[in-house]
Amino acid sequence: MSIAVAPAVVLERSVPMAGAVELVLSHPPSAVAVGPGQFFQLAVSAPHTILRRPYSAAWSDPAGGRIGFIFNVVGAGSAWLAALDEGDELDLLGPLGRGFDLAGQRPAICVAGGLGVAVFPGVVRALIARGRTVIILQGARTAAQLLPASRFPGADVHVATDDGSAGHRGSVVDLLTKYSPPPLAGEGRVGAVEILTCGPTAMLAALIDVAHRQAIPLSDIQVALETPMGCGIGTCLGCAAPLAAGGYFLTCQDGPCVRADRIEWELMTDGFHG
Amino acid sequence: MASMAERPDLTVHLGRGLHLRSPVMVASGTFGYGFDAPQVDRAALGAIVSKGTTLRPREGNAPIRIAETPSGMLNAIGLQNPGVDHVAHVYAPQWATWDLPVIVNVAGDSVDEYVAVARRLNGVPGVAGLELNISCPNVQSGLQFGVDPVLAAEVTHAVRAVTELPLIVKLTPNVTDIVAVARAVEEAGADAVSAINTYVGMAIDIRRRRPIISRGSGGLSGPAIKPLALHAVWQVAAEVHIPVIGVGGIMTPGDALEFLLAGATAVQLGTVNYVRPQAAAEIHDGIAAYMVQHGLTDMRALPIRLVSVLTHV
Repeated sequence: MSIAVAPAVVLERSVPMAGAVELVLSHPPSAVAVGPGQFFQLAVSAPHTILRRPYSAAWSDPAGGRIGFIFNVVGAGSAWLAALDEGDELDLLGPLGRGFDLAGQRPAICVAGGLGVAVFPGVVRALIARGRTVIILQGARTAAQLLPASRFPGADVHVATDDGSAGHRGSVVDLLTKYSPPPLAGEGRVGAVEILTCGPTAMLAALIDVAHRQAIPLSDIQVALETPMGCGIGTCLGCAAPLAAGGYFLTCQDGPCVRADRIEWELMTDGFHG
Repeated sequence: MASMAERPDLTVHLGRGLHLRSPVMVASGTFGYGFDAPQVDRAALGAIVSKGTTLRPREGNAPIRIAETPSGMLNAIGLQNPGVDHVAHVYAPQWATWDLPVIVNVAGDSVDEYVAVARRLNGVPGVAGLELNISCPNVQSGLQFGVDPVLAAEVTHAVRAVTELPLIVKLTPNVTDIVAVARAVEEAGADAVSAINTYVGMAIDIRRRRPIISRGSGGLSGPAIKPLALHAVWQVAAEVHIPVIGVGGIMTPGDALEFLLAGATAVQLGTVNYVRPQAAAEIHDGIAAYMVQHGLTDMRALPIRLVSVLTHV
């Protein structure tokens, strides 16, 4: 795997949903090298910031040498990134970490909370290219903050909003039980599906809870973790996540994508210097 | 980069036969054990200082371990490391094949633990030197070794007695008089000192109403502390007769040169390794260019030692 530290050029900047920005960068080596769920460390030059910002690639286009990132503004660094315009240069380090394991054959349910949806356009494309059935369960505060279903061609998309302005009113995790997508309905559902998820820690904790109640093995759930991160390359040891077996896991190197049975969810915390 | 013909000699000497081809080192905890960060140009480096290593493996602290603060970052990693046996058995044999010296940073919570780690590493091929992290609390007194000249000298003296390796002591800045500690460890047998370790600091998440770092406080590094570190180096270098290694917030060639002019023999890069892996090469080349520009042929000509300067500070 080639890890570049190199300037990329912003080709496009757009607003894919309310409160989010999508940057399309030209960087052919990274577009070829990145796998679904891997991330990059983006250098920011906002005043008084210092660390790079870790973002999963939303998607990549190896033939066109392009790579997309979707994020929201949560601090000075992401505000600086959001203010970039077409033609600007951006220093990226990556691709980094371990992405999702897409090798299975079972139908895949992608559960995305808030900006956690940003990792899924490329993941869904890769799943569908492998011939897998894909269901997206996407949750947001309100309808305008949902990434449009058109970004997931070939997938069956269901949504939940906190205010009920689109789809189910309530948590996206409710959809796993309340909506009961076909693979989960009825008997024999254990081992029938695989779940891929990304979202706030509270949502992940709720999902783990539902999995326990529905007897879905946690090893059938892959999570793209988000933790505070320093270097992104395994040297600072800042991005520790608690392991079920004891000790810690480095999100940057051992993750960010990990099977949920490896993590000690009772001790999992969040916090992000955006 | 200067051409071959006018490339100056950047060799520096840290004592007890430890010669570095470049004054640019990487600081403990920011470069692991030298196996990660392939983006960093090894040719620019004079030495690697390893992650803090203890007698037994340590898991480290519960998250959250790091936080960004204005022009800096806090960390409280908790000395996560695989223990000295793993370092001696697995890492050192690989270091022995490198053309770059690796200095092992040693940590402990008692004099006995420091001594045991040092003893285990003495004579191990691939280990070029030791750097004592004396910012750890002593379990007996609860006090950090590095905040008390007597305790600092005690641990330095005890380690000195069991190792032939070049011995660097990394000073903590969280003291009233860093010069007193520097003098004490020099007398106790240190070959060099690193100045400085991180400053204790904290940040609070006002939304969650709790400290961001799970341990409450952490060590502050990055450009935020550079003027403080520089002043510590300036003070220490004027008062000890052993080499001083400058460390604290160096991001650019100019930053490194400030430390070298202040009296540092070498510098360590820390936080910048997380941000700009290319910094080591840029800083190496920037120092070389400065030497050429000023007609200097020896690193020892860099420190400013003029009485007139000292008396005006």
